Formats: sequence, C-alpha cells, structure tokens
Amino acid sequence: MRPRGRFWVASWLLFVLLVLAWVVARQTSAVLTAAELRTVREARAVREARAAELMGRIRAARSRQVLIPRAERLGLRLPSDSEIVMLQTPLPAPR
Amino acid sequence: MAKPLTRLRVVQIAFGLGIAAVVGRAAQVQLIEGPHHRRAAQAQRTERVVLPARRGTIYDRGGTPLAVSRDMYHVGVAPNELVNARRDARTIARALGLSSTAVQRALRRPYAYFHGPFTAMSVQPLRSLRGVHLEQELERFYPRPDFARPIIGRPASDGRPASGLERVFDSLLAGTPGRAVVLRDRQGRRYESPARLDAFPAAGNDLILTIDADLQDIAEDALIDAIERYQSDGGDIVILAPATGEVLAVSSRRADGSTPPTAFTAVFEPGSTAKLFAAAALLERERVGDRDSVWGEAGAYVMPHRTIRDDHPEGWMTLRRAIEVSSNIGVVKFASRLEPAELFETLRAFGLGTPTGIEFPAEARGTLPHPDDWSGTTAASLAMGYEVAVTPLQLAVAYATVANDGVMMRPTLLREVRAPGGRPLYRHVPEPVRRVVRQHVARTLRSMLRGVVYEVGGTGTTAALTSFDLAGKTGTARRAGPGGYVPGSYTATFAALFPAEQPEVVLVVKLDDPRGAYARLSAAPVTRAVLEQALAARTTVLNRTRLSRSTPVPSEAPLASGTVPYVMAWPTTLGDPAPVARRVPDATGQSLRGAARVLHRNGFRVRLRGWGRVVRTDPPPGASAVAGSTVVLYAEPRTDR
Repeated sequence: MRPRGRFWVASWLLFVLLVLAWVVARQTSAVLTAAELRTVREARAVREARAAELMGRIRAARSRQVLIPRAERLGLRLPSDSEIVMLQTPLPAPR
Repeated sequence: MAKPLTRLRVVQIAFGLGIAAVVGRAAQVQLIEGPHHRRAAQAQRTERVVLPARRGTIYDRGGTPLAVSRDMYHVGVAPNELVNARRDARTIARALGLSSTAVQRALRRPYAYFHGPFTAMSVQPLRSLRGVHLEQELERFYPRPDFARPIIGRPASDGRPASGLERVFDSLLAGTPGRAVVLRDRQGRRYESPARLDAFPAAGNDLILTIDADLQDIAEDALIDAIERYQSDGGDIVILAPATGEVLAVSSRRADGSTPPTAFTAVFEPGSTAKLFAAAALLERERVGDRDSVWGEAGAYVMPHRTIRDDHPEGWMTLRRAIEVSSNIGVVKFASRLEPAELFETLRAFGLGTPTGIEFPAEARGTLPHPDDWSGTTAASLAMGYEVAVTPLQLAVAYATVANDGVMMRPTLLREVRAPGGRPLYRHVPEPVRRVVRQHVARTLRSMLRGVVYEVGGTGTTAALTSFDLAGKTGTARRAGPGGYVPGSYTATFAALFPAEQPEVVLVVKLDDPRGAYARLSAAPVTRAVLEQALAARTTVLNRTRLSRSTPVPSEAPLASGTVPYVMAWPTTLGDPAPVARRVPDATGQSLRGAARVLHRNGFRVRLRGWGRVVRTDPPPGASAVAGSTVVLYAEPRTDR
C-alpha cells in the first residue's frame, strides 16, 4: 500500500481539474460578454438607424421647400424688411 | 521453400521497413511540412478581416449634421437551414419590404442574397432567424441628400471618384480601419472572438463647416425660385463673412436641376461689378478728387477702334456718380488716368486671375491678361469688367475686401476639426492675405456702393431695404458665344454688402442669361429677397444687436445680447489694423513661378528682376517684413555645366 503516491496523483488530478474549470469559466464568461456586446451593438445600430431616419425627416420638414408652401396655404407670407422690428435690449448694468 | 526462421526474418524486416516508412513520413509531415500544414489549417478555420472605421460626421456651423455614417446590411439566406421555410419567408419579406413572391422565388436557389442595403431597423426581426446571415457595412447618409451637395460632395465608393469636401478632407474623415481574426466553420460562417482583435478601428474626425444651414437653405431656395422666375440658364449665390473669410452659404444650380459647383469652378465676365476695382485703383493712387468730373458724351464715347455706350446718358459726372449709375463712359474716362500696370496690379491685388485658396478641389483661377498682352482697348474693357473672368467666389472675396476695410481675408469652408471624442484638433483663425486698399479708400468705396442702392438713378435701387442699409453694385455683362457676344444674352450679377456700414455679410448673386432682365431687375431683387429671409430667419450669423441700433456702434462696445459664436482674432478694432510682420520665406533656388507662389502665399507682393532661377531676394530670407509689402526677386538664367 502506497498512500503517498495516490495522494499526489489525486492532488495533481484535482489541480488539473481546477485549472480546466477556471479556463472553462473564463471562456464561458467571454462568450457571454461577447453575446452581450453583440446585443448592445445591435441595439445601438437600431437606435442610430432610427435617429438618422428621424433626422432626415426633421430636416426635410424644416426645409423652406416644405415650410413655405404650407405657410402660404395658411395665408402667411414672408415679412418684408420694414416689417421686421428688432428690439434693442438694455445693456447690462456695470458691476 | 525457405526455412521458417528465414521467413520470420523476412516478415520482421518487412515490418521494420513499414514502421520506418510510417515514422519517416510522420517526421516529414510534422517536422518538415509542419509549418505549411499549420498555416493551411489556420487559414481553413480562421479569416483575417478588416474592420471598417466609422467616417467622421460633417456639421454646419450650428451643429446640424449634414453627413453622417450609419450601419447598413446585406442579407443572405441559406434556405436549407431555415426552420420553417414558409413562415420565415413571410418574415423576411415583411422586414425587407419585398413581395412574398419575390422572396419565395429567391429561396428556391441554394443561397438567396438580398443586396439592399437595409437599415438596422429593417433587419432587426431577422437576427433571431436561423439560416439568415447579415453582412454589415458602413454607409454615408445625408439627412437631406440635395442640401449643399456641390460643397459637401460624396466619398469615393463603387469605383466612383470622390468629390467636394468629402474628397478634400478624406484623410481627416476616413479614420483608420481595424483588423481582426475571426473563426470560420465548415460552412464558412464567421464567429467573432474578442481575443482575436488585432487593432480597433479608429473613427474619423468630425468636421464643422463654416456653412450656416439656415442661410444655405435660403440661398438654395432663392436660387431655384430665381431660375424659374427669370427663366435663367442657371446661377450662383455666395454669402461670405468679410471679417473672417468664412463662407456662409454657396448655392449653384443649372436650369435642368443639376448642381455643379460652378461658384468655385466656372468663370464669367463680371461686367459692371468690376468697375469698383477701377475706382479703387484711382482712389488708392489719388488720381481722382471728389469734385473731378468727366463728360458723359451724350451716351456715346468714340474711342480709337471702339465706341463706348451708356444706356442712360449722363452729363458731367464724378467718379461716385459714374459708379452709382454704372456709367461705362465715366469709368473708362477716369480709368484712362491709370497706367496699365497700375490697373493690372489693383485687379490682381483684389484676387482676380488667381485662385482664392479655398479648400475646394479644382477651383478655377479665372483670367486676367498681363499688360504685355493687352490690345489698345483692353484697359477700357477691364475697367468695365470685360476681358477678365472671375468665379462668383472670387468676386465675393474681392467685395469682402472692401467690406473689411481693404484687407483681404482668405476664404474658408472649414471652421473646426474635432477628434471622435469631441476634442478640438483645429480651429479656423481668420487669416488676412494682404491689404489691398487703405481703410479710408475702402470706406469711400462702400459709400459709393451705398449710393448705387439709395441714390436717385442708382442701378441697384431694386435691392434697397427699407429699414436697413445696404450697399451693392449691379453688373449686366454680355455673354459670349462661339461667334462672339450674343445679342440679348446677359450675365446678371449683384454684389452686396450688408449692412452698408461694418458689413457682416457679403452676398453675390449671379444669374446666367435671365431672359430679358438686367441685373437691376433680376439679381438685385433676388439679393433683397435673400436678405429679407435671412433677417426673418433664426440664423445666428447676423448680429441682431448691432442691426437693432439706428446708428452703428463701434465693435468695442459691449454687446447687450445676441449670440456671439466665438471671439474673432481679426479684426479686433475699428482702427487701421496693425501691420502684420512676417518672416520672408526662403525662395532662393526656386523658379520664378514657384518663388512668387510661396511669397504670395505668405502675403507678400512680388517684383521681378531678371529671369531664370531666384538667386536672392530683397528683403533677404528670414528677415521680418510687413504683410503686403513688396519682395524683389533677383533671378539669373540657369547655367548647365
């Protein structure tokens, strides 16, 4: 009977198992993080696409080619310069 | 028959040889061919991919995005991998906006490919489907595709060359692509592995242009309207900030709807708008007094080989009156007091015949004949704006010089460059090119231009604003065809300074062949319409605090309100700007052309002595000299030994 030898073999086996388990855990964590990153990227891409689409629609809606005909249909018109009054604001009081 | 022992020996040897062959082959495969097989195996299961860098965004001066990058997708489908082919086909058709029949037909092939490209929103429902493979790419997106298109241009793609600012600033916008190694399975599917990322892609820098989106919109809309109203062949509108040289709006358009960047690339004879430069030469050299006058010749002035005519004959007229009523006869008679070289130097100093140096590809330089090439009538033609060709931008820069008290500023389209994190990498600092005329001369010229708009008989009265002062000059130049000038065909131009005192914007409106309409009836009213719209718009370009005051306030006065985009380094006072001392660059050893270019770029005038290679300069290289002063180049012919 040689208990010392079996003990060492068991210890080595346990060590190897622990190292393997650590590697597997790290890999699993990496895969999960990569999946999470992919999901976040996809979500960002969707939001960016939405933002770009909305930006385009806002820019088109704000353009004079769209606004002026609508304003004219409502009976509005562009003011002449004599109808534009710029009010003077008082100068800030000296400190 | 051999003995059993012998047979056994033979079998042993055969086995031995067999084992040796196997071991030898194994050694060959693993030791000698090992690296090759390792590479082949790696190539089979991994792939090196380039990760595209996100191109920088282009903004207008107010932060409105004009060009952005976004993710787009191509969709590939392996029909044999679909879990429920019929249901998945419906999902694909719905997500991609295609007909079910087209998708069903495509799925009959071994591998269906839908090029698109489709947005991230469209392909989102497909991500969970087995058998659907998405190919990502970055696409340039323009929120309003036609907005400022000739300026912004397009990046190179699909073999098409880049254009506009996308081309000029490509190295700033493009960023640096990354590299990664991905795993590949038997079917060629890629698997991302974070550990295999070699280099992150570095996004490109963002550009902030000097363009103001509101003014640009106004200019584009006004030009479309003008081309339609006057049945013009096309036209251009350029709006500049004279104090900084910043281009606030540029619109170019042809009657067919195309938008070539003609404000930068196409030249035209400026006609009467160039009379101001002849007046500048006369005033700068003090060849004309306030009360000097010339006779209007009842509308027809007979010169050798030529008769100059005025549509509206004047009697005796001063130079001021000649400019106000745009009298050809008056300006030609006054300009005859100038030597050819003097007129040429002034026109050259205003930038005619030389590119402005703006950051735009293929900018035209225009034409300005050298006095050596002049005929007997060239001086008169130049004084009236003929035999010289300019781009609308050159004309705007020249008028901006008058607006800026005689100092020419380098025009620019770029205001700021920012790193992807927002850190500013470059900010435009207004750059004076040279002093063209003295401050009091520029003021006199502005006063003349104001008379064009507000004096009785002035040719620009149709541009007059009621509540605000405007200065400007009309130009109606005959258009040349293959057989000479075409009767009844004109280029109508109006160059305006707004407001007349301390102008904040310079505006050039040019219409090509407005049917039957002189500049006073076409370009001038368009100018007024643009300014009225700008006043009514929310653009921050105009300083409303200053405009609200009945009398102009000096710029040193504290501003009560209004938006001050940033503090300008130039000019800081209303007085004559302090002369800028510069180091004379080393031009020795260069060709005359190259040396002149270097010196012009540094703001010096150039006078030539000799021919060939430059051997020395006066002042010498490294010496300090005032910008705008003259550097003499001494040249000698090159001797080949």
